[in-house]
Amino acid sequence: MNRSDPHELWEYVLTQIELSISPANFNTWFRESSIVKIEDGIVFIGVPSLFFKDWYMKKFNMLLLKILRGVSHEYRNIEYMIVKDVTRKPKENRRAVPTPELPLNDFYINKSDNLNPRYTFDSFVVGSFNELAFNAAQAAITRPGITYNPLFIYGDTGRGKTHLIQAIGNQYKKLHPTRKVFYLTSEKFGTDYTDSLQSGTANRFKEKYRQYDLLIMDDVQFLSKKDKISEELFHLFNFLYDNNKQILFSSDRAPVAIPDIADRLRGRLASGMTVDIGEPDTQSRVAIVRKKLATNGVVLADESVEYIASSVAGSIRELEGVINSIVCHTQVRGVPPDLAEVRQSLRSFSRPTKTISVKHVVSKVAEFYGIEEESIYEKTRRREVVRPRQVIMYILREDFSVSYPTIGSKLGGRDHTTVIHSCEKVKREVAEDAELAKEIQDIRTLLV
Amino acid sequence: MIIILEKKEFSEAVARVARFAERRSATLPVLAGIAIVAGDDGIKLRATNLETGIDFKVVGTIKEPGVVALPASTLREITGSFSGTGTITLEHGGETVIISSPAGRSQLKTLSYEDFPTLPFPEASAAKFTLPGSALRTLVLTVAPCASPSTVRPELGSVLLSAEGGVVKAVATDSFRLAEKKMPIAGTITPFSILIPAKNAIDIVQTLPDTDVEVLVDEHQCAFSWPNGIVTTRLVTVPYPDYAQIIPKAFVSEATLLRKDFEAALKRTSVFSDSFQKVRIGFVGEDKRVVFSARNSDIGESSEGVPASVTGESIELSFNHRYLSAPIPLITTENLSLSSAGIGRPLVIKGIGDNTLLYLVMPMNQ
Repeated sequence: MNRSDPHELWEYVLTQIELSISPANFNTWFRESSIVKIEDGIVFIGVPSLFFKDWYMKKFNMLLLKILRGVSHEYRNIEYMIVKDVTRKPKENRRAVPTPELPLNDFYINKSDNLNPRYTFDSFVVGSFNELAFNAAQAAITRPGITYNPLFIYGDTGRGKTHLIQAIGNQYKKLHPTRKVFYLTSEKFGTDYTDSLQSGTANRFKEKYRQYDLLIMDDVQFLSKKDKISEELFHLFNFLYDNNKQILFSSDRAPVAIPDIADRLRGRLASGMTVDIGEPDTQSRVAIVRKKLATNGVVLADESVEYIASSVAGSIRELEGVINSIVCHTQVRGVPPDLAEVRQSLRSFSRPTKTISVKHVVSKVAEFYGIEEESIYEKTRRREVVRPRQVIMYILREDFSVSYPTIGSKLGGRDHTTVIHSCEKVKREVAEDAELAKEIQDIRTLLV
Repeated sequence: MIIILEKKEFSEAVARVARFAERRSATLPVLAGIAIVAGDDGIKLRATNLETGIDFKVVGTIKEPGVVALPASTLREITGSFSGTGTITLEHGGETVIISSPAGRSQLKTLSYEDFPTLPFPEASAAKFTLPGSALRTLVLTVAPCASPSTVRPELGSVLLSAEGGVVKAVATDSFRLAEKKMPIAGTITPFSILIPAKNAIDIVQTLPDTDVEVLVDEHQCAFSWPNGIVTTRLVTVPYPDYAQIIPKAFVSEATLLRKDFEAALKRTSVFSDSFQKVRIGFVGEDKRVVFSARNSDIGESSEGVPASVTGESIELSFNHRYLSAPIPLITTENLSLSSAGIGRPLVIKGIGDNTLLYLVMPMNQ
């Protein structure tokens, strides 16, 4: 320790004092003090006010002197001085960040009809990709049970199916306050049914669902392979249909494409109006981004909006995630992000695009199957080589989206049709052959 | 310790003293307490938060001398709920104090008195003078709201008290506005100038009696004493800004209007102020009007003219409406004057016929 450095000396004194007095005393009396200077063996301790000076003299003088003498006998005495306010550390002034409280009603779901009031037509963006579905929905509301019954809406995940069918429910409720609406997922329908069987109240189950004027069932594709539940739905459907009650279904695929459901149910699902919601085009995406930002009260430059709309491919749900992060950013900083910041935050949302060399895949797969790497490139049709080669093509295509001709040329100058055939073959076999699927899974882990 | 006190006397004393106890919990527990000292000098209540401190005498009978520290907030709640007249007895034994009245008794845990600090009083008092407590209260309470709440610049968080030529004045500023209150004092007074942290000053003047108070000052500490008690505070020792030079000497535009017109128009217009609380004031010479206007993109806009006698050129300035409404309750006269020294220069607000109060506010950037 440097004995002439007041700062170091004070640090040492503090560590000693802390051991001999209570933490409350220490915090109260020593936090704002320091050694100002050391002159001729006299240590000058600076304290904030006379309160401190008096108390130091009365209570801590002996203790301090003992500690200082322990360091060196050259310290003869202690004097206290009240340091001017300028030398005292100003307290940090925290910046108050206005935090708009999160709206709670977002999460509020009406118990009697299961509808989320957040989903309305006001917040629904209509574009060319969902225009047809939207118009069908309007028709179903104006003439329920007559025009399009059942209305079957399908499309990939995150296209707004749930939003649309719940908006129909909310709108219907508003127009006909006395009629009964109910929204549920096919999975909920299934568990309800099994519960009613277990408790022996199957009749009550039937009664419950037959009372509704508008029944909305989300994600009916999950009924696949559930024969008993499908049958129950079939009877319910007949009852509601015969009584001109409107029925709405949503699914991620068309009725004909839902595997393993009874034909009689499939036919009925498709018997009314079947519409699909396609991939939203860029204009629609821009409109969606604008609408979502506007509802959150955030204004973003046009170029940023277009950048978001064009760079976040895939479902609207992902688009919403990006928008939420921008809204959050705006609330914390107080200003909306500019294009550069939008780019930065988007980076964390986009899927990492793996770049990988064909050679790397080939060597890993060859290693996995225990064959010579060279043999993959050769024109041999030995069984033990053909299968790994097809697997390589499949993986390059599926996981890394390498084009068919490129795969062909990289793997010893093969025709792209050969590659297509191989990929299709493996794809087919993976669906049936669990062992092959397992192998490919293992290879994938090797490649990461 | 056993003492007997009048209920009313005790509850008033506790209410007075509790103000000086520490309210933050992060410090020494005993600082949140009131020390009761019963000795040769009679019964005294003490409290301090290491910024200010009080030693206050109460009338009572000492059966057995002693000292004890009790939590201030609890004690204030207890004494605040006393009803009727009569006496109570405080009896200290072990770690508790029993407060008993003919009707009932309560037992209160004590704080450790050993940690209770001594109250410092000015050592070699550099100045000593006597002022009526009521005058000090008026002076400090008039200007203290203008002091800065931040501690970054200690001088701006303080109230300046000074005397010169038979006039005592108090000044506070947070660099956006400034208030100065003067008061002539009968008799001679030695010139002095002290800076008291605004928070301490408010606590102190609210405790002072209306009668004469003796003020003792040294470099770092200041004490106000009267027969029943003494309060002490640390002083700020940084130089105070030379505020006299920012008070404009000449004005380009002056308006005189009714105080109640000003207050009402400002209140209505401030509804439309924006997030910066901006209100515009225009002096219109030819119409004999002062125009108040504000615009908020979310709410709307408003404009209102108030009859006034206007001299000088027409000018429009923007202000934070809170800074404009602050002096209104302090002005006691019917009319007030607004004097502008020009764009980007301060506006002075005064009561007509009252030269003791001067309020100065800086305009916002247009």
